[in-house]
Amino acid sequence: MTQDLATIAPELFLAVSAMALLMLGVFRGRESTGLVLMLSVVVVVITFALVWLAPSTRVVVFEGLFIRDGFGAFMKGLILIGTGVSLVMSWRYIERENMAQFEFPILILFATLGMLMMVSANDLMSLYIGLELQSLSLYVIAAFRRDTLRSTESGLKYFVLGALASGMLLYGASLIYGFTGTTNFDDLAAAFAETRAAGEMPSLGIIVGLVFMAAGLSFKVSAVPFHMWTPDVYEGAPTAVTAFFASAPKIAAMALFGRVMMGPFGDLVAQWQQIIIAISILSMLLGAFAAINQTSIKRLMAYSSIGHVGYALIGLAAGTEAGIQGLIIYMTIYLVMNLGTFAVILCMRQKGRMVEGIDDLRGLSRTHPMMAAAMAIFMFSMAGIPPLAGFFGKLYVFLAAIEAELYVLAVIGVLTSVVGAFYYLRIIKLMYFDEPVEAFDRPFGREMNLVMGVAGALILLFFVFPSPILEGAEIAAAALLAG
Amino acid sequence: MMLAAVISGFLVGGVAPWVIRYLGDSRGSLALAALPALLFVYFASFVSSVAGGETARMVTPWAPGLDLMLSFYVDGLSLSFALLISGIGTFIVIYAGSYLHDHPQLGRFYIYLLGFMASMLGLVLADNIITLFVFWELTSLTSFLLIGFNHEQEKSRKLAVQAMLVTVAGGLAMLAGLIMMAVVTGTFELSEMMAEPDVLKAHAHYTIITILILVGAFSKSAQAPLHFWLPNAMEAPTPVSAYLHSSTMVKAGVYLMARMHPGLGGTDFWIITLSLFGGVTMFLGVFLAIQQTEIKKVLAYSTVMALGTLTMLIGIGTDGALIAASVFLLAHAFYKAALFLIAGIIDHEAGTKDITKMGGLRHSMPITAAAATVAGFSLAGIPPFFGFLAKEMLLEATLDADLLALVLTLLAVGAGALVVAVAGIVVIRPFYGAKVETPKKPHEAPMAMLVGPLVLGLFGIGFGLMPGLAERTLVGATAAAMAGEPVDVTLYLWHGFNLALLLSVIAVAAGIFLFLNWNRVRARLEGVKAFSESYGPEAGYWRGLDLLNWVAFWQTRILQNGYMRYYLITIVMTMVVLTLYAMVTRATPQLATTLTGVQIYELAIALIIVLAAVFLGWTHSRLAAVASLGIVGFGVALVYVLFSAPDLGITQVLVETLTVLLLVLVLFRLPEFLDLSSNAVRLRDLGIGLLVGGTMTLLLLMIGDVQYFEPISWYFVENSYPIAQGRNIVNVILVDFRALDTLGEIYVLALAGIGVYAMIKLRSEDQSKGGPR
Repeated sequence: MTQDLATIAPELFLAVSAMALLMLGVFRGRESTGLVLMLSVVVVVITFALVWLAPSTRVVVFEGLFIRDGFGAFMKGLILIGTGVSLVMSWRYIERENMAQFEFPILILFATLGMLMMVSANDLMSLYIGLELQSLSLYVIAAFRRDTLRSTESGLKYFVLGALASGMLLYGASLIYGFTGTTNFDDLAAAFAETRAAGEMPSLGIIVGLVFMAAGLSFKVSAVPFHMWTPDVYEGAPTAVTAFFASAPKIAAMALFGRVMMGPFGDLVAQWQQIIIAISILSMLLGAFAAINQTSIKRLMAYSSIGHVGYALIGLAAGTEAGIQGLIIYMTIYLVMNLGTFAVILCMRQKGRMVEGIDDLRGLSRTHPMMAAAMAIFMFSMAGIPPLAGFFGKLYVFLAAIEAELYVLAVIGVLTSVVGAFYYLRIIKLMYFDEPVEAFDRPFGREMNLVMGVAGALILLFFVFPSPILEGAEIAAAALLAG
Repeated sequence: MMLAAVISGFLVGGVAPWVIRYLGDSRGSLALAALPALLFVYFASFVSSVAGGETARMVTPWAPGLDLMLSFYVDGLSLSFALLISGIGTFIVIYAGSYLHDHPQLGRFYIYLLGFMASMLGLVLADNIITLFVFWELTSLTSFLLIGFNHEQEKSRKLAVQAMLVTVAGGLAMLAGLIMMAVVTGTFELSEMMAEPDVLKAHAHYTIITILILVGAFSKSAQAPLHFWLPNAMEAPTPVSAYLHSSTMVKAGVYLMARMHPGLGGTDFWIITLSLFGGVTMFLGVFLAIQQTEIKKVLAYSTVMALGTLTMLIGIGTDGALIAASVFLLAHAFYKAALFLIAGIIDHEAGTKDITKMGGLRHSMPITAAAATVAGFSLAGIPPFFGFLAKEMLLEATLDADLLALVLTLLAVGAGALVVAVAGIVVIRPFYGAKVETPKKPHEAPMAMLVGPLVLGLFGIGFGLMPGLAERTLVGATAAAMAGEPVDVTLYLWHGFNLALLLSVIAVAAGIFLFLNWNRVRARLEGVKAFSESYGPEAGYWRGLDLLNWVAFWQTRILQNGYMRYYLITIVMTMVVLTLYAMVTRATPQLATTLTGVQIYELAIALIIVLAAVFLGWTHSRLAAVASLGIVGFGVALVYVLFSAPDLGITQVLVETLTVLLLVLVLFRLPEFLDLSSNAVRLRDLGIGLLVGGTMTLLLLMIGDVQYFEPISWYFVENSYPIAQGRNIVNVILVDFRALDTLGEIYVLALAGIGVYAMIKLRSEDQSKGGPR
């Protein structure tokens, strides 16, 4: 029991602190928002430290429900970075936009707790609990501005569609349980390894269960054709919330996707590979083509994230260690680019009002040269132009795909990159070559400049010191497949 | 050392704005020119060893263990390019200081320009394919920034994006090809790949790899039909055109093909593809050139011709052709860079780019005129200039080609004639003849702008008169690098009277005739120009962009329309398709046909559920709909109970009751049903419902082979007394075996109770304060 508790120390700490902060908020009332937000950041930092300091050996605790391994540690680190930065960035936003309620950071903490659980799930049960804790918190956060129609509508859409996806996931999980008699990942893996060794085809129930689970998880990573909520929710939710949605939950869902597919279903790769290939191709295509004539930067980011998920899924589709490594690298870089871009978007205010039009970025290089430079770095990187970090993300997934002889996937990835480059370049053209419109309100706030600056530097200089991330991802991928 | 040399451009570029600010435009640009000059000297130090057949390789680990190496390779080919890049770069940097004198953004210009130079050096020296690709795209990127440099014009912004898209698209195709090569050969180093030529050529994917590599090379080197971006890139400031779009960047594609020649070249596929694309581009480029009147456009199209020529020569691939390519590469770089710089001088000093609006400029700018004449003769291929040598060898190579010799020779002669006309158009027309009034009063250019054209002209004459100099230093080693083995080279200016010379004379005569009738020729070709503008590849590019916008528009219309019901339909139908797909491909269709053990009351419940569901879709009353939904739910609960899951049944009943009550409460306050859905919509929904239901039924019938696992109830029966000391098993389970569950449930109930209490209390407080209900 002691070992069990010691292993879940980060999650335990996060849960207890979140509840303590909730009490603090309740007793201190509305004025406590600033304090709660600040303490939430501290909690995230400490949780990050706890994850960081924990040994990276593979441990399974709570009767096989919970796993701690190198893969989980890496992904949790990313999630916590995403959460922490999102919280910091929302600081001024919630004040200005009149949504400064202490529930906001608390809900984000609970969502994060759910994400950590997802990443460490080693059983269909704990998977579902983590996923739902995350999802339920996110539904509420999406609709956090109850007084605006857009926010409530997006929250409702997210909830209804999300509930359907959870239902599908559960249906799949019960089919799997029905045909194997276990929900534990290790037992499932052993059972399927046996089937495979015997050269048998898994029964139809298992395959359909797998299909349903894959569909439910695809919804959570917003892969096509389960993506429809993404543009509407990204646009409707308050921008600070969108920034959060685009970072930590994406990482968590992707980590969970990788964990489930490569872990218990690793030996059924022949059964799920085609599904992943299909949704990867569809996501890349839609992400590239649909983004083109968007006028809202938030919708554009939504399509961009769909496209990026498609690329990351190439790594999963490969179904190899190299593929998972590619996926991890991709998501790491995606996180940094995304946080940086949203820092810019959160600074887009004119005369005290948020603006969201892509055209509002016109001539940014003249009005705010440093901000334009940072945004240009993010856009070039998202377009996959070397030597920026985004290129390496793409490179590693393409490499994995070609090694796994998934040529069609790699070629479509390349083609959609070109189409994607078109709209990222358009933004750069607007910022650098067009006549400026009104300047944005100053000051942006020191924390915003910091996020933009650090993210920009990381993306720009990744190629100088790529080893920490490349090797970290290698170790994490190896850890996932060791199980 | 090599790494430092390559990246020095980025570093010096980074401080360029300060250099310009403190030293002023002219002195600052001279100081910056020291870098390319030093690099030139550094690369020149390799000449003697490389000419002797040696090569050098420098490796710096980048991300160890991951096949990422910053490795550079020096042989004749890369050294020729490196010398051209640094040498011409020196003059360009000096020239730009004068050309863009007092431009407020001059510092930024040098960041891009020096950055480009560094990228280009990296490109030609890289041995690792990833390094190569990184630098390749960096040249596109810096080119993008340089083309858009004068961004006051809407046109130049659009065209900057165009050049970037075409080259980046090609670059990505090349990346795919390179990675496939790495997978096939098991190495990421080009020198190692090329050392074993048969591995790639014999591989099943040879054709795909070659196509991908060629797409990259053709897009970068503006081969038809991807040639259109290059003339459009002339929106860039003239020094940029001279540097990037004539002598260096556009030759990156040629470089790539030359580099790949040992590994991929020599097959029929390679020879035919390159010869044809190159030959057609060669002719088309110069054919389009004489239709233009803007001097930079004429030069740009003639550059397209030169790139086509090089591609064709690499395609032919005989020793003679490769030597010709090496010679042509150098000759072209000398005269074309000079001509661009001269075009910039005319624009700068006389204020126009339109050839029809200039003439007799030799009176006011004699030195420029002299340099232009030298470059023009070399372009036209008149002895004793280096260009003559290149043209003779080109004709000999096409005559000796293994495949398509006749076609290629005809194209080459035609192109040769037209290029003579081009030389006349860009040199004789502006500088000789009667004086024409120009927008600005022309006068001689400053020394900084003249030094480039003059020195390059001297090289053109020098190498022409002493071909042995070129032979001993670079040409032999370059050709050897392309061939992958040593090549015997002897260059003569005078090849004697032979067929090639005869053809050359014919070409020159025809070219002079064309030039003299230029105005008439142009008028005749107006129709062709109009046709190619509306149906050519560039029109295709713009249509393609329109198509992209159209697709994006319709996807928003159809898929992303904001209506949740469509989202739900998409998700549900996807699941149906996936499930059916799994059934068809992954299982033998085997239905459980006999349903034994079905009791009559089970059937009755099923019937009630179905009837309630049908009624639910039928009714127009909201209350009736809610009630029938309740019936479905209770029916399901009954099924649970019948299949010995009473706890599940009870939960279901509770949830169902609550749902129905809530629905009634909420819906009661809403207005009457508006009959929103049309019959067509209802029919569609019926179809979807039946499809989903049918699929699930089919699925259940097909997976009859459920394994039943040992129920866990026996565990409780056996252990409830011995372990938990209790006889009432249900009680024991609740308070003992699942005590934590029970605690949780109590906790949840209590919490809900508190919540309800709080809401009631708050509401009564609100009311007592007279707040809204």
